[in-house]
Amino acid sequence: MLKGFGNFLLKELKELLRDPKIFLGMIIVPLIMFPVLGAVMSFSVQSAQESAVKTTVLVVNHDSGESSTQFIAFLNSSLRVFVVNVSTIEDAVVLLPDYNASEIIEIPSIFSQNVTAGMAVQVGFFSVFSGTGLFEGVGSSIVDTFVSQFNRYVAPDIVVQEKSAIIKGKIVEGVDPQTLSSLMISQAIAMPITLMILLSYSMQIAATSVAMEKEEKTLETLLTLPMDRFAILMGKLSGSIIIAGVGAVAYMIGFNYYLGSFSSLVPAGTTYDLVSLGLVPSLLGYLLLGISLFVALLSALAIAVIISSFAEDVRSAQSVVGYIYPLIFIPSLVLMYIDVNTLPLAIQILIYAIPYSHPIIASKAVIMGDYLTAVLGIIYVSAFTLVVMYAASRLFATEKILTAKLKFRGLRRSRKPSDTELQ
Amino acid sequence: MWFNLEVAVEAVDLSKRFGAITALEHLDLNVEETEIFGLIGPNGAGKTTALRIVSTLLLPSSGYVKVFGMDVVREASEVRKILTYLPEEAGAYPNLSGWEYLEFMARFTSKSKEETQRIVKEAAEICGLGERLRSKAKTYSKGMKRRLLVARALMTKPKLAILDEPTSGLDVLHSYHVREIIKRYVKEHNVTVLLSSHNMLEVEHLCNRVALVNKGKIVAMGKPQELQEKFSSANLEEVFAKVVGFA
Repeated sequence: MLKGFGNFLLKELKELLRDPKIFLGMIIVPLIMFPVLGAVMSFSVQSAQESAVKTTVLVVNHDSGESSTQFIAFLNSSLRVFVVNVSTIEDAVVLLPDYNASEIIEIPSIFSQNVTAGMAVQVGFFSVFSGTGLFEGVGSSIVDTFVSQFNRYVAPDIVVQEKSAIIKGKIVEGVDPQTLSSLMISQAIAMPITLMILLSYSMQIAATSVAMEKEEKTLETLLTLPMDRFAILMGKLSGSIIIAGVGAVAYMIGFNYYLGSFSSLVPAGTTYDLVSLGLVPSLLGYLLLGISLFVALLSALAIAVIISSFAEDVRSAQSVVGYIYPLIFIPSLVLMYIDVNTLPLAIQILIYAIPYSHPIIASKAVIMGDYLTAVLGIIYVSAFTLVVMYAASRLFATEKILTAKLKFRGLRRSRKPSDTELQ
Repeated sequence: MWFNLEVAVEAVDLSKRFGAITALEHLDLNVEETEIFGLIGPNGAGKTTALRIVSTLLLPSSGYVKVFGMDVVREASEVRKILTYLPEEAGAYPNLSGWEYLEFMARFTSKSKEETQRIVKEAAEICGLGERLRSKAKTYSKGMKRRLLVARALMTKPKLAILDEPTSGLDVLHSYHVREIIKRYVKEHNVTVLLSSHNMLEVEHLCNRVALVNKGKIVAMGKPQELQEKFSSANLEEVFAKVVGFA
């Protein structure tokens, strides 16, 4: 045993555990955050399973034979099947919202004839692609499973699906929605990950930058200079945005290679032109997405600046800013897996209330041409940002920027001045 | 010609409270133009609080302070144009060189690149750091950093330079150098200096007048020599001890 090790270790543990910033940041926050994340994952899987069970399929039956009736009955044994009397698939697409369905099966007039003759028959399978999350393809895959089961009962490969996607209400023939989902996985992951990295990096930079001024004792000098104090705030925010932006670009270049690994999920030789499918944001979409990201970033930085103003040194500032991370990580992870509209109302409200959810919501919305959602998000986050910016500017305009301190016992602000203030 | 001089700093009935703690209590003070005025007292006496109020960093709880006739609360931005403040233990930006730091500071007052360069050269001369000004500030010793910061506070020839413990933590030689800088600069450029120190012997040699501060109150004020005579003391330390009833 090393001489003095036990005594020293005891001192270290006391010192570290009694530091409320470490205690909260390293122990309490993970104890809260990870169970919440676990609950999110569990909810995602559960809702995916439920959505599989609840899969509603509209059937357009052009065949009047017995086999098609059997096929429909087979599907109906596990899925919610509605046979609709329409002559074209386009008419059925219009009916999808009425039945809360996202899948259509079109049975050709030769179905029974071919099945009876033991010849393969193609059925049309149309699935709505909405780009809402990683579990989006569940409905499509569950139909696949039942068709395979039907084939096992009747004859191998007797029923063959000809898959098409319904994108923004239009039928795009020959596009497998599941493969499309796999291709779009990078977009589903990229935005939340980018947002998490960008916001957490830039918040750390902003917090460090403000705390450095305090730690290096340069803030007092700065505040007595003949300059607008709002300029100090804006300088801090802009500097952090620029550095974080550069960092995010570097990160995304590296991350892009990582995302390349997901291409293994796409069947070999499958290539879809996402631009021609309308699954790439338009110029307006990119603009809205940029604005959404910018206002969210600005509000995050302003919060970081405010919080770090209460810290006395860099380490404290970084710890304190860490408490904001669950507000960034949780909605990012939730929205990565789940369509926000499928969540219970209370959770939906919570997700919409967190400003950092909106760039992710906007990224999905603009791809699907839903600009209103993106605009409403921008308005909300801008209003939130204005309030936070106003609070930050007030803080910089007063002596609070120097005297404010965070009292961790009860997380209340202390007004007790330090010895140096009293000198 | 002393009677033509303006009042550089006028503090009237100045109090400052932080919650339940009173840092300054009914402080009255007049600093005349071009004098070196020292606030002296022990740690926690309220010297820094007073300097921070004069330099527009803190708001008075009651009373007022005027700098060359301008109220430090209502006309704070105007006041900031004519003063510089050197906080105790102030630092420079560690990743900027001394030269870059001086340039950064000079740009707030200069109107052209040429003027910026002139100011920085002046500062370089004041601090005497020579080629070391090209090194990052994080490589400087405490003494070098302090000389850089004193030069920063004086280089723009402010009407009022507020120096909080200008020789704090410096060894004898560096302290001497900094004191000489202040003395010379005040003489050459008619700068008014309001400084604080808990080193009473140092202040004795540097200041024209001093105010002894204890527990937020001024307990004695005057020229060092006059105070020593008044309290029959050999130095200001003795004066202070007698005034606060320590001796």
